Amino acid sequence: MAYDKKHSEHAPSGQHGGHSEEYLREKHLMLDPLPRGQMNDMVMESMLAKPTWKFWVVASLLAAIVAYGLFYSWGRMIAEGLGIAGVNRPSYWGIFLVNTVFWIGISHAGTFISAILRVFRAEFRRPFTRAAELMTTFGLVQAGFSIFMHMGRVWLAYWLMPYPNQRMIWPNLHSPLTWDLLAITTYLLSSTMYLFLPLIPDVAMARDRSTGWRKTFYKTLALGFRGTEGEWTHLRNAMNIFAFAIIPVMFSVHTIVSWDFAAATRPGWSSTIFGPYFIVGALHSGMGAAIAVLAVIRATMKHMDYFIRGEHFDAIGKLMLIISMAWAYFFFNDYMVQWYGGDVWTKQLLHFHEAGPMGWMWFAMLICNIVIPWAILWNPKWRATPWLVATVGIIINVGMWFERYIIVPISLSINRMPFTWRLYQPGVEIPLGIGTLAFFILLYMIASKIIPLIPVWEVQEGQMAHELKKFGRETVVSVSELE
Amino acid sequence: MSEKFSRRDFLKLAGVGAATSAILTGCGPASRYVKREPYMQMPEYNYNGQSTYYATTCRECAAGCGLIVRTVQGRAIKTEGNAGNPLNLGKTCARGQATLHGLYNPDRVQEPLKRSARGGDSTQAMDWDAAIQVVADALKNNKPEEIAFLMGMAPDHLFDLVSDLAKATGMNAPLRFGALGMFEARATLSKAAENLFGEASLPFFDVGGAQVVFSFGANFLETWLSPVSYTRGFAGLREAKTKMRGKFVQFESRMSQTGGKADEWIPLRPGTEALVALAIGKLASEIRGGAMPRAFENVDPIDAASKSGIKLETLEHLAGMFAGSNGALAIPGGPALGQSNGLAVAEAVLALNAISDNFGKPGGVYLSALAPNQSEYQRPASAQEMQEFVQKMADGKIKVLFVHGVNPLFELPTALGFGGASKSVSQIISFATFPDETAREADYVFPDHHGLESWGYQRVATGSAQPVLSGAQPVVSPYYNTRATADVLIAAAQLAGGSFASALPFKDEVEFLHGKVSALMGEVDGSISAPDLPTFMAYFQQHGGYWRNSDERVAPKAGDALNREISAEVAEFAGEGEFFFVPFVSPTLAEAGANKPWLQELPDPTTTVMWNTWVEMNPETAHELGIENDDVVRIVSEAGELEVPVYLYPAIRPDTIAIPFGQGHTAYGRYAENRGVNPADLLGQHFNEAGDLAFAGMKVKVEKTGAKKPLSRLESMMGVYGIGLGEEH
Amino acid sequence: MATLSDLKISEVKLGEEHTGKWGMVIDQDICTGCQACVAACAMENNLSFVGEEDSGYGRSMHWIRIERFWEGEYPEVKMTPNQPMMCQQCGSATCEPVCPAFATVHSQAEQLNLQVYNRCVGTRYCANNCPYQVRSFNWRDYERPEPLPNQLNPDVTVRRRGVMEKCTFCIQRIHKAQDKAKSEGREVVDGEFTTACAQACPANAITFGRVDDPESMVSQLAKRSHGVKHLEELGTLPNVTYFKGG
Repeated sequence: MAYDKKHSEHAPSGQHGGHSEEYLREKHLMLDPLPRGQMNDMVMESMLAKPTWKFWVVASLLAAIVAYGLFYSWGRMIAEGLGIAGVNRPSYWGIFLVNTVFWIGISHAGTFISAILRVFRAEFRRPFTRAAELMTTFGLVQAGFSIFMHMGRVWLAYWLMPYPNQRMIWPNLHSPLTWDLLAITTYLLSSTMYLFLPLIPDVAMARDRSTGWRKTFYKTLALGFRGTEGEWTHLRNAMNIFAFAIIPVMFSVHTIVSWDFAAATRPGWSSTIFGPYFIVGALHSGMGAAIAVLAVIRATMKHMDYFIRGEHFDAIGKLMLIISMAWAYFFFNDYMVQWYGGDVWTKQLLHFHEAGPMGWMWFAMLICNIVIPWAILWNPKWRATPWLVATVGIIINVGMWFERYIIVPISLSINRMPFTWRLYQPGVEIPLGIGTLAFFILLYMIASKIIPLIPVWEVQEGQMAHELKKFGRETVVSVSELE
Repeated sequence: MSEKFSRRDFLKLAGVGAATSAILTGCGPASRYVKREPYMQMPEYNYNGQSTYYATTCRECAAGCGLIVRTVQGRAIKTEGNAGNPLNLGKTCARGQATLHGLYNPDRVQEPLKRSARGGDSTQAMDWDAAIQVVADALKNNKPEEIAFLMGMAPDHLFDLVSDLAKATGMNAPLRFGALGMFEARATLSKAAENLFGEASLPFFDVGGAQVVFSFGANFLETWLSPVSYTRGFAGLREAKTKMRGKFVQFESRMSQTGGKADEWIPLRPGTEALVALAIGKLASEIRGGAMPRAFENVDPIDAASKSGIKLETLEHLAGMFAGSNGALAIPGGPALGQSNGLAVAEAVLALNAISDNFGKPGGVYLSALAPNQSEYQRPASAQEMQEFVQKMADGKIKVLFVHGVNPLFELPTALGFGGASKSVSQIISFATFPDETAREADYVFPDHHGLESWGYQRVATGSAQPVLSGAQPVVSPYYNTRATADVLIAAAQLAGGSFASALPFKDEVEFLHGKVSALMGEVDGSISAPDLPTFMAYFQQHGGYWRNSDERVAPKAGDALNREISAEVAEFAGEGEFFFVPFVSPTLAEAGANKPWLQELPDPTTTVMWNTWVEMNPETAHELGIENDDVVRIVSEAGELEVPVYLYPAIRPDTIAIPFGQGHTAYGRYAENRGVNPADLLGQHFNEAGDLAFAGMKVKVEKTGAKKPLSRLESMMGVYGIGLGEEH
Repeated sequence: MATLSDLKISEVKLGEEHTGKWGMVIDQDICTGCQACVAACAMENNLSFVGEEDSGYGRSMHWIRIERFWEGEYPEVKMTPNQPMMCQQCGSATCEPVCPAFATVHSQAEQLNLQVYNRCVGTRYCANNCPYQVRSFNWRDYERPEPLPNQLNPDVTVRRRGVMEKCTFCIQRIHKAQDKAKSEGREVVDGEFTTACAQACPANAITFGRVDDPESMVSQLAKRSHGVKHLEELGTLPNVTYFKGG
């Protein structure tokens, strides 16, 4: 390990074994400080590392998938109409909306980790806020793709934006879709801002350590940041404001997405609990995705095993477990509320979920979202095993995708007019969906080469605040108030 | 000049260039010395945004409903029923609505064609002068008895023209045939009327006035005789305005669309219809008291119950229903007559009406009113007569065959051998509007105009109390270089000279029409009257025909309808196999609808299947055989076999399967070709006593093929049948 | 100061207060399921045909469909009364509020649910939200080879891919009749015109007219005690009354 030698040079020596200072330092990034300069170098090195042939192979493969799955297929769909997809009567919405909800869900983890954990001062968040924020932005891009793809006449999508126009009409503010669009746009803009603000000190750092086009690039992004006291004060204020402000945006965006369904006059959709249920669902899939991303970063990028350690997987694993329980509760709640409602059509639909031709998906959803996380994440040792937790994260995402699939096309198959009931068979949605996934990964791969994935200043800030103190023979962690 | 040319033709000429002589000679009938007459007082000229309405006659089937066609700027936009026409009173069926998809069908024959080889696609275009010469030569160079005309079912002006020609020259009298007539068993109906009432006429059943209707297989809400008129009658039966809501009982082995509307649907064993009718008659007579009529004497209701599979209590209940009503009506029709004992069935069911003594009374049985210019009922050819004709062809006695308005290669069962026999005919000339199977086997195709581009009239054979002669006029000028067959024949007859020329001494079709219609001018009781022929013809066109104002249905002389022996024998079935086979006419496609895309996309009224053929099978039977929905099965009869996907139909006897007729074209344009199968391929050469094909008298085998072909249904299999809901039983 | 009456709020009247304008009465007892209305509608309103594959996959463009179910088991099996289903022109339509583009709106003048084709962006939310499932979406540009387009009704827009459509109660006929009446200085007379489906129906099972005119045929019929409106419990205030039969 690259950093090990320096690390050991720096580390105080000769302490007790067991839960000793040594142990704590190895476990916790915050107690294992490195000089700022060294961390800067590590981050720069990992970012500037010459891409391996594997990187190129994967990137070009993804690019090909994006070109075919996303752009070619979408182009064909624009030219020929939605007929090449699988949507029909009564499943007017298909995988497009599944993917939209799915990607918005993914994007939730970013804000959750970065803003909520920042506000609540969860120290373990520090090394991976950046990675999470990137997920938010890139996830929202895919959500946008998915929702626009679904439109019959996407070339007129701008009609949904409120702007003065020759048609003399505003979008219909009664429509959940209008709120949806506004909420997602707001979320995309604010999350991009929120990604950018904490990035400033790091791009300033990168600017000072790079040449050529990168220098210009980082110089532009850094907005002349020099790290003066005044600049830091302003930046901290801005970040604080954004961290608080983006939390309600995050909650609103997914409740509004849930209104698309909850506000409709449909059995199975018209459920009052959908708002919180969707938020918890979003966090569920988002945390799963975040941990998978962290595992990949740690495994593939230089020096990342210094920044991202077992403790982080353990902490996120705990969160996942809690969220999984909350999700199970809300799922149960939603089911009960609907079942007790006694509406025949809803009962028919609930039965269709479990026992219909796609009943396997309903059970798979429960296994992926509840059984597997509960079985694995209880164990602290397993929880700290990156590949295992990452696998659980991916499984949760599969489960959550199933959940959305059950809510959208499967629930649409059944309605109050039995003469029209029909199953949905996806068509070009599949390449399109895979295209968004590939695009997400590709964006991440590109970002890893141009954006410092670790907020060095944030890590250093934490490390400065943490101290190991000795009270007698006990080694105690003390955290000083920042600022 | 302005008299002779409509503005549209002027524009057409101006657009193409007056020097183009082909256009001049090709000027359609619309440019003749008579004008088309718009419905209501409207200018013929078209203004932007203004519609012009023309009255004409629907040619989609032989019923002869009146149409009003809305045209805008020379295009036909929409067909509506002609509210003035007593037959359909402003209503149409789906086929009438879709007639525009025939007019503007992308696969019409666009010009006279000479075919390089029969059955081939290679053709050469001809001009009409050459075409007329071909017809003239065919008339002139053959002996009259070697010339034959095969025509559609409609008793129209062209039939009159050809009949006149045949009479004057010694040609074979034209044969009218249509699959609809075959599946209706029209010959059987009129033969039964002859046997019972002494008059070979088409009975008319006043469903609307009845209180209880017993229909033995008659699919009168679908394609039977005059569906629009009978549907109106059905609505009258059901409407409780002046009387109780009428009851309707249907006896058939497979629930038809008509049967679906029945209050009681009685699935009887095929072939036992006569027995059941007589048993009900016997039981009803017992209830009514008095002497037992001779017709019912020898029938044993217990035997009838066991043979037909109807419970004795049900028979008694039905007999009570029939006897207890003052307005009971029994109708024979459809597959019940298309069996070896079809004539007995028709007689037994008609005789049943004697119990309620409804002959010639409202809610009862009449003989149809003859059309104004008609002296006797002209029955279309029965299948047996067609077979005799085919034999003549095969024997080489026919040298020239003209075909108009019928597609025998598709409509006649393959077993009758028209295809083979046509090879012995040296020249076949088709006047088909569409490239149908017969046109493909013809040496020449001289396309007639589409019905909406044509002049003419059509006698209404049945369905209206008043005598009706539906008039036709072009509602648009011909879209393609087609020509009225009547014009072609008149011109060719002139060229041929001799008796041909003297038989048709007319300038053109319109003059011939004038001659035929002018006789009506003097009548007093008519819907229109005028002092001179041009005015009379103008009214005739404007109102869509001529009808008398009086009810001229004939009360049948039925004094001894019941005083005769009627056979109660069960029908015999041809072939081996475990299933009775019921072919039925698709109510939406009928015999010639398959090339109209919107008719293809209309869901079948019973199964909601679109764009294909299916075989209906009882779900229990299918389950036993391990057959599921959409499984392709092979149906084997003594005459042939075909492969068709299964529809599990809950309302069919377990021992019966049914296939709709209407698809299975091998030609006929892009929407019809190679789609579905033709159940006529399974039918053998078996006839009933009246000469109708015993099309419902076959037994067939069903074999699995292992293939699957999902049928396009409008209905949801989940919602309607619970299939795939997780609740399979 | 703006008063309440100044605010142009479109009031949705509920329950007994609600009277629509145009309505239909359908007698399922005499409907024979013959599809004449379906064909007439297709011809009048320029509906595309979609072909075998799409029509079997729930993509047919029928604005009116005839539903039938089965009751009982063979041999006591019965077909339920045919049920023509088309846009119910709800007084409080669930399709309207959910459209983000105002493409499906309520006509205050005619009390109909309008579908504005050129404003539709194809989110298909309205169709999801229609409890009657009577909306059709143009999944493709369906082919209509020459010379079939000659038949197109010039009074009705031809729709392209990506656009939602549905029964309009033949609004082009309503307007034509109203224009004619206006030019003659009178009101539209009951029965003066009717929709394409009602006009074609050989059984006269469909009656169309003014439901706000107590003298009209459709109002008289609707008063019959056994009329039902579909899914009325959802508060959609449908304007089509059905007689179930028997």
